[in-house]
Amino acid sequence: MIGKAVAMPCLAILIASAASVGPADAYTASGDRTFPATLILPQIAPGDEFYLNYNMLPLTSHGPGSPDRSNTFTATLGKTITDRLGLYIEESYDGIGRSGAGTQWGWQNIDAAIKYLAVNDIDHEFIMSLGLDRETGGTGTTRIGASPSGATTPQLFFGKGLGDLDVGYLRPFAVTTFSAVQLADTAPRPNVVNNGFSVQYSIPYLESKVQNLELPDLIRGLTPMTEVLFTAPAGRSYGTRATALIAPGVSYAGEGWEFAVEAQLPATRATGSGIGVTAQLHIALDFFFSDSIGKPLFSSQ
Amino acid sequence: MMDRREILFVAGAAASSLFVPLPALADAAAGSVVGLRGQCLIERQGHPSPLKMGDAVAVSDTIEVPADGKLKLRMSDGSVISLASGTKMTVAAYQTGAGGQRQNAQLSLGEGLLRAVVSPVDHPSTFEVSTAVGTAAVRSTDWFIEAKSGSAQVGVLTGSVSLTSSATGRAVTIPSRWGARLESGRDPVQARVWSPDEFQAVISRTDVP
Repeated sequence: MIGKAVAMPCLAILIASAASVGPADAYTASGDRTFPATLILPQIAPGDEFYLNYNMLPLTSHGPGSPDRSNTFTATLGKTITDRLGLYIEESYDGIGRSGAGTQWGWQNIDAAIKYLAVNDIDHEFIMSLGLDRETGGTGTTRIGASPSGATTPQLFFGKGLGDLDVGYLRPFAVTTFSAVQLADTAPRPNVVNNGFSVQYSIPYLESKVQNLELPDLIRGLTPMTEVLFTAPAGRSYGTRATALIAPGVSYAGEGWEFAVEAQLPATRATGSGIGVTAQLHIALDFFFSDSIGKPLFSSQ
Repeated sequence: MMDRREILFVAGAAASSLFVPLPALADAAAGSVVGLRGQCLIERQGHPSPLKMGDAVAVSDTIEVPADGKLKLRMSDGSVISLASGTKMTVAAYQTGAGGQRQNAQLSLGEGLLRAVVSPVDHPSTFEVSTAVGTAAVRSTDWFIEAKSGSAQVGVLTGSVSLTSSATGRAVTIPSRWGARLESGRDPVQARVWSPDEFQAVISRTDVP
């Protein structure tokens, strides 16, 4: 039986993994392809944006007093420095429900990231970005899983739409991928490998680039998508185990904003014990404040 | 050979010029040439003739810029319109009030690229550029529109533009630093931030010394 001493590191790695991939969540575009904001995976390029995310996931309880549910509210601000370089800062407020006990609330460690758009091939709807995430240890509440140790996470992102291929109604499909290694500052926090991908089918792309099907207005703004995130300790695990989370859902795009909802299906016991949910409201600051806070600090334009 | 949409577009442009109110016809000098390169032509009442610096441009005139040419017009409301090489544009309507402020401006872009620096007005007015696939409407802004066979694209430097599909009636708002495309018979593509390189390309094509 796994005791509380092991359960807490598992919870910490789940939360820390989510934190390390979170600061880049945002919409981005390559040519006529818009990649909608993802919820559990990072998006693939810097931008001027603000978004709020709610995440609920039932956890596998290991006895009275051990965590059995996670509720997380996250706010993220993204700011471009140049046309290709952006900064992100993120803070989360967590509530950890415990079996037979009350919910403990507290702040997660402050998280910041820098992201560079290395390749944007608009003709082929292809994007590659590099990121570096820094979680500052000791800035959060340890009783809800915030680690006293910080971590640094190099990240690699790809995005590819199928719009340049002669595949008819499959052209609205797009895939994004994410790979990262979270390097802990000190033991006993483990290093963690993060990998994930998303598959998206953009109805706006279908209606504007492939075929006008005269669908209802609500449908025209939808992008069904599924995200998958894997995490695994690298090297000494300190009791943490691999996790796998599958998140099918849908995103609705308005002008300058998006709202998305996804189910969260844990694929391993270490990930969770039931179906969770996550929702996100994304505001494109570069749309609403394109001449002020929504533009890069230094731009050649 | 023109397809059905292009025929409709030309017919629409011609029809819209027929409905230009009398004041605009009476004061038909919609603008004048302030920059010129190459052998640009103006077609007035079916008769083409070369344009010179200072020439007046009137409602229902059609302007053609050759492949090696560029043209800049200062309109009667103070707006400045720059036409890139290979552009064909008709002034469908251009009404100004007593103070020279714009009331209604409608341009038909058959093909090519134009940049419009639209002067601000303190009352409701229209400034529209129609293409075969859709119409772009603005208030006060500096922007570009390019018409190609079966598509159009808009880029906005300042202000905002609404791009509406002729086929579906759906529109997209394009703020400054953003752009969007529109393809024949479809909704506008979701707007996005344009890169500096994309803006530089259309700026240089419409830059008239």
